[in-house]
Amino acid sequence: MILKVWGARGSVPAPGPRMNRYGGNTSCLQLSLPNGEELILDAGTGIRNLGLELAGRRRIHILLTHLHLDHIQGLMFFPPCFRAEVEIVIWGPASPEASLEERIARYISAPLSPVEVRELPCSVSFRDTPASEWELGGATIRAESVTHRGPTLGYRIACGETTIAYVPDHEPALGAPLAGLEPEWISGFDLARDVDLLVHDCQYGDEEYPEHVGWGHSRLSDTLTFAQRVGARRLLLFHHDPLHSDERLDELGVDARRSWRALGRDASEIEMAAEGAGVEVEPAVPAMHA
Amino acid sequence: MAIQQSQKPLELILARNLLTSVSTPAFLLDAESAVVFYNEAAGALLGRPFEDSGRMSAAQWTGAFGPFDGDGTPVEVDSLAVTDAIRAGRPAHGTFEIRAADGERTAVEASAFPIVASPNGASGAMVLFWPLDRNEPTR
Repeated sequence: MILKVWGARGSVPAPGPRMNRYGGNTSCLQLSLPNGEELILDAGTGIRNLGLELAGRRRIHILLTHLHLDHIQGLMFFPPCFRAEVEIVIWGPASPEASLEERIARYISAPLSPVEVRELPCSVSFRDTPASEWELGGATIRAESVTHRGPTLGYRIACGETTIAYVPDHEPALGAPLAGLEPEWISGFDLARDVDLLVHDCQYGDEEYPEHVGWGHSRLSDTLTFAQRVGARRLLLFHHDPLHSDERLDELGVDARRSWRALGRDASEIEMAAEGAGVEVEPAVPAMHA
Repeated sequence: MAIQQSQKPLELILARNLLTSVSTPAFLLDAESAVVFYNEAAGALLGRPFEDSGRMSAAQWTGAFGPFDGDGTPVEVDSLAVTDAIRAGRPAHGTFEIRAADGERTAVEASAFPIVASPNGASGAMVLFWPLDRNEPTR
């Protein structure tokens, strides 16, 4: 599988000369499967540029973790939405309050939007993620609720022998001592267990976290502890704070690799997500083919 | 991609995190009415921290800590109004006695409410205890 980052920023777009290397677009990943199928993870503003690359696609699946604006804001500017021949299926968390379509339509409707969902030229459908794992484009997917503010999912996606977990908004250490807690009591543990790549929230440095406890995001040390506890082989630090410049994110990356080494791990297993970067994800042990 | 289904539902995880943070004695039950967590305040009341007890089935819990009625007679969990209410997805309030690890019995007032996050019913319940003054009659 190849994962490409189209938006790594959290909370709100953060364009500007000091953000150029990591990028200012909000959460969006493109997951290319070995069979040629593709999945889109979240629809932050990064999805606009991704849409320009999908000119030939007739069917597109978008997996939303939740409906905070930084994860759906790009939907209205996603070029395939305006092509009649395209079918778009949007998956997201269920709610007893309203359907997924109704909740997303609060954004894609007047006065916030010049178009309504029903006016989009493409064929778009909305589906609650199933309670159990399901097949999509040749991948096996599981969605589970994780600790964040409001109903929020994390995804585990497996294709062949390769597995990734995408948990971009997650505060598993809220009220919980991650290092000593039994796995069954750690939010997101089963989703991320033994994955080849974990894409995880790392919005704050440790010194910033005390002022943001309960905001739904992780500090660096908690992200590393979570990744270590679940046995992730590689870690992509994601959902950068909009106030963090390239220079600040470089520093966080250095801190992350130093701390990861202190946990007995190889520093090369950690990367900071940067817009435009691709990550080739391979299984821990190459699959044996007959 | 079989995932081992060992993880607790998020609502129970969050409930445990909350109970960890409060000083009111409190217990967390799972859908099978097993005690899957109690906090430090409850551990002090029972004379045994949760770390020493671990998960306890309803039968194990009853055998170790009660409840008892006002005369000291063991009360079957299934006969408690609280149990009935939780199983029916409703909150409940009751008074009974529990027995600490050193054998001392304490009258408590307890409030319980189901934790419901899906249409399939409660995934557990939260029970909070308030020790009663010994002169206060149980209700």
